Amino acid sequence: MNGQRIVALAWKEWREIIRDRLFFALAFVVPAMLMLLFGYGLTLDVENLPFAVVDYDKTAASRDYAYRFISSRYFAFQGYAADEHDVDALLADNKVRMVLVIPPRFDERLGRGEPAPVQVLIDGTFPERTQTSMGYVAAINSAVSLDNMAHALSRVRGIPLAEARQRVQPIKLEVRYLYNQSVKSIWSLAPKLIMLIMMLSPPFLTAVGVVREKESGSIFNIYSSTVSPGEFLLGKLAPYVAISIANAMFLWLLATWLFGAPFKGDPLFFAFATVLYVICTTGIGLVISMLVQTQVAAMIVASIVSIIPAVLYSGVLLPLPSLSPAASMLAHALPPMYYTNIVVGCFLKAVSWHALWLEVLVLAAYAVGLFGLGYLLFTKRPRS
Amino acid sequence: MSAPAIRVEDFIKRYGKRVAADGLALTVQRGEIYGLVGADGAGKSSLMKSVAGVLAHDGGTVEVFGTVIDSERAAEKVKQRIGFLPQGLGLNLYPDLSIEENVDFFGRLRGVPGAKLAERKNMLLGMTRLDAFRSRPMRQLSGGMKQKLGLVCTLIHEPELVILDEPTTGVDPVSRRDFWAILGKLLEEKGITALVSTAYLDEADRFHRVSLFHEGKVMGEGTPAELIARVPGTLALFRAEPQADALPRLKAQFPQTEAMGAWLRVFAEGLDAAQARAAVDTCLAASAPADTTIHLSDWFAREPELEDVFVAMLRQRGARLNTSLPADAPAAAPTSTLAIEATGLTRVFGDFRAADAVSFAVPQGEIFGLLGANGAGKTTVIKMLTGILKPSSGAGRVAGADMRSAGLAIKERIGYMSQAFSLYHDLSVVENIRLYAGIYGLDDRRARQRSDWVIGMAGLAGFENDAAGRLPMGLRQRLALGCALVHEPRVLFLDEPTSGVDPIGRRMFWDILFHLSRREGVAILVTTHYMSEAEHCDHLALMFAGRVVADASPEAMKQALIASAGQLLELRVDRPVPAQNALRDAGFANVALHGRAVHLLSREADTDRERLPALLDKAGIAVQSVGLRPLSMEDVFVQRITALEDAGRRSP
Repeated sequence: MNGQRIVALAWKEWREIIRDRLFFALAFVVPAMLMLLFGYGLTLDVENLPFAVVDYDKTAASRDYAYRFISSRYFAFQGYAADEHDVDALLADNKVRMVLVIPPRFDERLGRGEPAPVQVLIDGTFPERTQTSMGYVAAINSAVSLDNMAHALSRVRGIPLAEARQRVQPIKLEVRYLYNQSVKSIWSLAPKLIMLIMMLSPPFLTAVGVVREKESGSIFNIYSSTVSPGEFLLGKLAPYVAISIANAMFLWLLATWLFGAPFKGDPLFFAFATVLYVICTTGIGLVISMLVQTQVAAMIVASIVSIIPAVLYSGVLLPLPSLSPAASMLAHALPPMYYTNIVVGCFLKAVSWHALWLEVLVLAAYAVGLFGLGYLLFTKRPRS
Repeated sequence: MSAPAIRVEDFIKRYGKRVAADGLALTVQRGEIYGLVGADGAGKSSLMKSVAGVLAHDGGTVEVFGTVIDSERAAEKVKQRIGFLPQGLGLNLYPDLSIEENVDFFGRLRGVPGAKLAERKNMLLGMTRLDAFRSRPMRQLSGGMKQKLGLVCTLIHEPELVILDEPTTGVDPVSRRDFWAILGKLLEEKGITALVSTAYLDEADRFHRVSLFHEGKVMGEGTPAELIARVPGTLALFRAEPQADALPRLKAQFPQTEAMGAWLRVFAEGLDAAQARAAVDTCLAASAPADTTIHLSDWFAREPELEDVFVAMLRQRGARLNTSLPADAPAAAPTSTLAIEATGLTRVFGDFRAADAVSFAVPQGEIFGLLGANGAGKTTVIKMLTGILKPSSGAGRVAGADMRSAGLAIKERIGYMSQAFSLYHDLSVVENIRLYAGIYGLDDRRARQRSDWVIGMAGLAGFENDAAGRLPMGLRQRLALGCALVHEPRVLFLDEPTSGVDPIGRRMFWDILFHLSRREGVAILVTTHYMSEAEHCDHLALMFAGRVVADASPEAMKQALIASAGQLLELRVDRPVPAQNALRDAGFANVALHGRAVHLLSREADTDRERLPALLDKAGIAVQSVGLRPLSMEDVFVQRITALEDAGRRSP
């Protein structure tokens, strides 16, 4: 190992990255941009769902019932419609996602203690949202029913309303949300985005950066000199690792300051694990660059190899236990899942070595394995 | 010190099924400048990369400084003693780094200590006259400067052996000469051995010894003079009227007959000058029908050039030069109609004048050459003439119509073949032709007819269903030409049509162009950086910095050079570099090294031939021979451009 050569390589690479406009953007602008776009765009919270009401009953009871929905922060009331035909157009145009149809004699039936049907029309094009909004509707509806029952009980038995309420629902749920007290999806999403973006950006940068030299022919400067493969890989990749670490720090700042995600864990542990993860993903780029010959191929392979595991097999969108056994095996074979556990643990759960040592170990194994593979695949005397 | 610098035996290299090098052998002694000469795909690069230890070969022995290169470990042992410049102008340099940063990087990569690095950098940048541009990013350099920077970076660790892969391809002739001068001087001073490849046969005399490469095999090895002596014969240059009748007759007897503008160039193999004259006379008299006599004039006979010998060697190995063009088609009547007319064509990009008041005229049936370095404005002019680019001022008329307002009907009378041979590589030969026929709106019957014509003309019979991308360069080039001709245009534009094609392919290509111009009256405008090819043109316009600086026939340009600067003398000497210095001191301005010989321009050639040996003898240099050499178009080009650059420097 000759330090001077490693420094020369790293210094050259650094200057190329900061002077090439496209590379500069890829290295310093794109990660932060992705964080903003995903952070604002990928919120899974369903709130302000636009809805309309068709009220055939037009009584105090039906208005009262509708008002429970109108006053909820999960729904955004768009107005009353005269009949169901009017709402078809609204649903088709995405003006409303849900319609509440209160039939005639709603009040009358309630008064007589008969079942009073209410129709709910929900846009089912986006199953996640549909499920969530159905949950809200059911919850509001049962709250109204319980309330009505409690009022009736209190009237009939002459007991105070509070007692009537307790009688109606003897088992009372006391929910405490752990780790993410207000169940804001951005709290859990922002940390996972660090995982996602650090899975996309370093392989892309590294693969294109190395293959660019193969494509132009400047790799022959390396082949024809006495630089050892180890020196080349260290010097060439050091800037990419450094830039990616800086990016990870910046994304951490965005997650905590801009998106307000809490960071409860040990910063030192998190920094260590993140450096390991970045080395690991840089190694993915290195291996790709050894296998392809053109920048276009490098970009395509890097996108596929990084986006799919990062999005589908990491636990960003779907919780891992809900994956099929095959998908779950795949997830366990890829690094993003382990780092997801680490970021979620560090941000939200305040856990550290004792809970996450296995994850760190796996990432370390990956980093060593990928760099080892890259080192073995690199030859200064290729066959073509 | 006994081992030769390079010893190669039975060298074999395959890429998949394709055999790139098939049993190559050569030996390079220390201190030699050894040339590998051949077209693209001849196997030069594979051999050079293997010698540099950056490519694994499939068979044979490669030995460098006595070390057998058979593994990565073995290659590492000699790499510090080697400098390697891969193919592609400036491609191994870093475009975003400045000249100085590039040199520094190479120096540090090679472990050159700081003080030494600074010293060598100053010396090399000074010698290449790059020191004024140290902080300029490499991407903003001209082709010639990139090439010199590449050389500096290759030499920064003072290797004992330099391997330069086509260092002069795509560089203008002035920079090329400059490059050879610098390289020669450096190699001589430091005693460096060099292995250099080139696609230009006329550069072979820059080397001490050369190997001629063709399709993965060595056709011949030796000094340029030895190689030329291997196929004895006479090169005859003369005029014959009518030329179009004389050419096919001569070609039947002398396969290596070419038309060079108004001249004919015949290589009479195995004949001396007198025998050649007699044979040509007999051939023209015997085969002429009663009603036409062919009149011969301006006869010159001389030693053949390396290219003639190379083509002869390839013919001996079975290469064929004929195309299936009808030899007896009636000659087109000479006309004075102008096919292309540029008047004051100017194109301004920002404050850069890419083309500056360019004017010339091409009559129907003429081959017109547009010469100039990369960036001189040739492509800009072609683009304005074909209506792709609007001129800032001035006008271009093609086939009688102003190109700014020309409709489709006029554009259909133009054929255009671009630098990159715009073919669809995954389509077959026939599919490519039919596609172009479709683009030009030919009906089915015509399309089939023209497709057959193209296949015959280009010698593509048997390749009809092969993918265009898999054809050899020469065939691919003729297919591209055929596609440009599918609609029988009256005016043909060719942008650098012969880059990378072997000599046989180039000859067949020019035969076709000659046929088109003489028999079918097509006007052809061609740009080229092969100076030797410029001599095929009837008329030349020389472009420099966006302007036409000379506009005459090749012959007239040479005469003008003789009148202004003198004739070309070649001196064979024992020590070329001191001889060059001595001649410079004696007041000769245009002294250049060519391998072991020195070239100079002399106004009094006859007296100089007498007095120069004595003059050099005083400096302790032995002169083996002094002789006159014919001027080449490269001499003309270099002379004109250097004069213009000097004038530009004196009055900025």
